[in-house]
Parts: sequence; structure tokens; C-alpha cells
Amino acid sequence: MADELERWAAQRAPDLLARAEAAAVEELKRALVEAALAGEARVAGPAEGRRDEARPAATRPRPAPEEARPAPASPPAPEEAAPQTGDGVWAYCVTRASDPPAIAGVHGAPLERLEEDGLAVLVSRVPLSEFSEDALRRNLNDLGWLERVARGHENVLEHALEGGTIVPLRICTIFADEDGAARMLAEQRSAFETALDVLNGREEWGVKLTVDRAALEAAARERAPEAFDEELEGRSAGGAYMLRRRQERQLREAADRLAGGLAEDVHARLQDWATDAVVNRPQNPELSGHEGEMLLNAAYLVETGKVERLHELVEELRERHSELGAQLELTGPWPPYNFVPRTESALA
Amino acid sequence: MEGSYLPSGRTAGLPGRPSESTNLADILERVLDKGIVIAGDIQINLLDIELLTIKLRLLIASVDRAREMGINWWETDPSLQAMERDEDGDRDQLERENRELRERLERLEQRIGLERGSEEREGEPREEREGPPTPGHAQEREGPPTAGQAQDRERPPTPGQTEDREGPPTPGQPQDREESSRGG
Repeated sequence: MADELERWAAQRAPDLLARAEAAAVEELKRALVEAALAGEARVAGPAEGRRDEARPAATRPRPAPEEARPAPASPPAPEEAAPQTGDGVWAYCVTRASDPPAIAGVHGAPLERLEEDGLAVLVSRVPLSEFSEDALRRNLNDLGWLERVARGHENVLEHALEGGTIVPLRICTIFADEDGAARMLAEQRSAFETALDVLNGREEWGVKLTVDRAALEAAARERAPEAFDEELEGRSAGGAYMLRRRQERQLREAADRLAGGLAEDVHARLQDWATDAVVNRPQNPELSGHEGEMLLNAAYLVETGKVERLHELVEELRERHSELGAQLELTGPWPPYNFVPRTESALA
Repeated sequence: MEGSYLPSGRTAGLPGRPSESTNLADILERVLDKGIVIAGDIQINLLDIELLTIKLRLLIASVDRAREMGINWWETDPSLQAMERDEDGDRDQLERENRELRERLERLEQRIGLERGSEEREGEPREEREGPPTPGHAQEREGPPTAGQAQDRERPPTPGQTEDREGPPTPGQPQDREESSRGG
């Protein structure tokens, strides 16, 4: 009787577990997708509604402070639907360099340089039909649009970087006109000067570390073969099953420890040596296209004179960890996005 | 020197020579999250941008994976923590769901193990559940299965959640994403 039961349990266990696991994975996936969709709906919803129901006044994306609109819902307010016309002025970065790159900005208009006493902000005109507050709210959530604009912004910054040190502004820093941008430059002048001084003669470089899971587990197994080769022989089917599961888990954990040590080693070496370092989150493989697991995604601020040494150092690390299937990617020099103060108030 | 720009075997283009092949993730993580924020005349609420980045991050499977592996520097980075706070709503919910699912799985495993364990005198299944090979590590990952967790278990299945879910699904989204991965 006990035998029967045991055999039954042993038979059923893997199946049940697999099913439970599959269900859990499904549920997680669904939760992720729904959370993402809910986020989108919060933004896209009102815009959608406005188009479909032609009830513009009632559907502001957010309960704005000017909430009390006297007009009842029925007569459509005529000015509401009209897209904004005219141009705004998009600001890219602040620099002391004299000549702006002869290229186009995020929307095709040429780059201009607004200077005041040796300090300049690079700008270009953008149509408000696409870059007004309402339009941006919509467009920023369109990944295709966002990509074009992000690349356009990045492109200008990279060209500007060739001319000298820059302070990058976050995307969508837009002014009503050139005067507005010039005023901003004047108001924040000392802060920009300070940032430029810090960044002068230094470059931002990116380092990403990815590993191949299988290689990592193979290495873990090789380092402690005795832990993972415990005898399965002579056990009941259920016992063997449980043992196998335990070994799998231990192997996974051993691989995790290897990975953690690896990432720490790489980061510690580079950090010791760089002027400054920032660790960012691992990237979304869907966007970055990387294979394997990203263990480290960091940016380092490096003296221009030491950049060659940085390449050597990365090469050394690459060799040292090659047996673990580690991939080290070095990119740069980037506009120093990671090494400027984040906000206006932090500037002052 | 020129040659050493390109990391071996990667398609990533390089800053300094802008190209369409520069990794979009590299660019987005910078232009959306980094760079000085100056209040312009067009007041685009950064929340809207952050909403988008939240979505991008939700898709970052490797974050949870990395955290599991004990790689979590960004959690101690004050500047990143500020952003994390903005996302707490979504993150908490996901983490809670994740934990609940894991616990459910564990309970299932336990039940199977116990049924079997009572038949089997060796008591292996218990060993499998309770004998953490590396206590420090396990702790780092999830915290010990203590009172805090038990409390969580009693919590009803996330009441706030349904509200969010009721939002109309937007069919455009998957499409958009596909477009962007194609468009280079």
C-alpha cells in the first residue's frame, strides 16, 4: 500500500510541479503585460476618447487645475481640436565651443547656437503640432516616434561633443522661442560653468557585461563536481527526483554566485580607476538585442588621456573572465549624460 | 585607437560616429533618464516620460533576474532610488505578485513533498526544502521566510489591482513595439 502510494506520488510529482510552474509563469507574464497596458491606457485613453467621442472639453488627460469648465458637454468647443501651430525651440546642450555642427536637429531644422558671453546653448526649431504638451504626451509613448527623436537628440550631442565639452540636457527641453532659451542660459550660467569645468578633459564610456547561462553553470559544475554528482543510484524514483531538483537548484545558485563575483570584479576594477562611475540597470534585451544575461551596465567618467588604458583594462578583464563565457562591451565616448546633475535645483 | 572603439563582435555603432545602429537601449536609457532637467516653456510632465520608461522597464526581464542573483547596485544608488520611488506602485505590485506566485509554487511543492515524505522515512523532501546550502545567499535574495512573508500571504489578492486592469487594452502597443525593433 505504502509502495503504491509512493510510486503514485513519484509519478505525479514532476507533472504537477511542471504544471504549477507553467501556471505561475503564465500568470506573471499576464501581470507584466497588463501592468504595461494599464500604464499605456492611462496615457492613451483620454486621447483616444477625444477622437472617438468628439467630446473634447470633457476629456482632458488629467484633472487639470482649471477643472471647472462652465460649458456643458454637448456643444463642442471649436478651438479644442485644432493642433497648435507655430514653432518651439528645442535645446540640446550647453557648450563653450564656438561653432555649432552644421547638421539638422530632431525635426530637420538646422542647428543654431545662442551665445552669451562665451557660453552657448545649441537649439533647433520644432513644430508645435508635434511638440506641444498635448502632442508630446501622445508621441512620447509611441516608441517609433520616440526613437527618431532620441536618435536625433543623440546625434546632435555626439557632433557637438567633437567640438568640445558639453552639458547634455534631457530630451524635450523646449522653449517658446529663442529668447526663452537664452534666458535659461543666463539664469543657470554659473551652474553650467561648474558642470563644464568638472567634465572638461573627461569622457563618458559605457561598459556592459553579459554572460551565457550555460557556460556559467558548466563552470560552476566544474569547480565543485562533488556537489552535483551525488549518487542517484539506489534511491527510490521519488527520492531521485527530489535529489535531482536540489542539485539543479544548487547549481543555479552556484552559477549566480559566480556571476555576482564576476560583475563585482569587473566593476571594482574599472571604478577604482575611473574618475567617477554610475551603475545603471540591466537593459531590456528586446531593445538592446543582447544575448545572455546582462550582469553589469555601467558608465565611467575617464580622463581623456587614460582612455587608451581603459581599452587595455577592458581587454584584460575580457581575457581573465573568458572561461565563464563573459562578454564585455565597451562603447564611447558618449555625451556625459551620466555625469551631470540631474535637476535644475541640483545645479544650483 | 580607432579600431578599439568597436567592442568585439557587437553591432553597436559608436558615439562619436553616430549611426542608426547605435543600440537603441543605450540611447534611451540616457536621453530619457539622464542629462540635466531644465524647466522649459513647454511643460511636458516628466511623469509622462517616466510612464514610458516604466513600461520599458517592465519588459526588462533581466532586472528581476539580476536582483535574484544579488546584483542590485542600482538599489543603493540614490539617484536611481529617487526614480524607483516613482515606480513603487507598479513595482510593489509586481513584486508582491511574484512573491505570491513563488509561495504558491512552494506550497505546492511542499504538499507534494509532504505527502511523499510521510511515506518515506528518510525525510529527504524536508531536507530539500529547509536545508539552504548558502544561508547568506538565500537571505540576500528574498529574506528568510519569516513573519513578514506570512503576513503577505494573508493579504487578499491585491485589491488595487483590478482597478488598473480595467483600463481598456490598447491594441496598438505590441504593434508599436514591433515597428520599433524593425525600424533602425
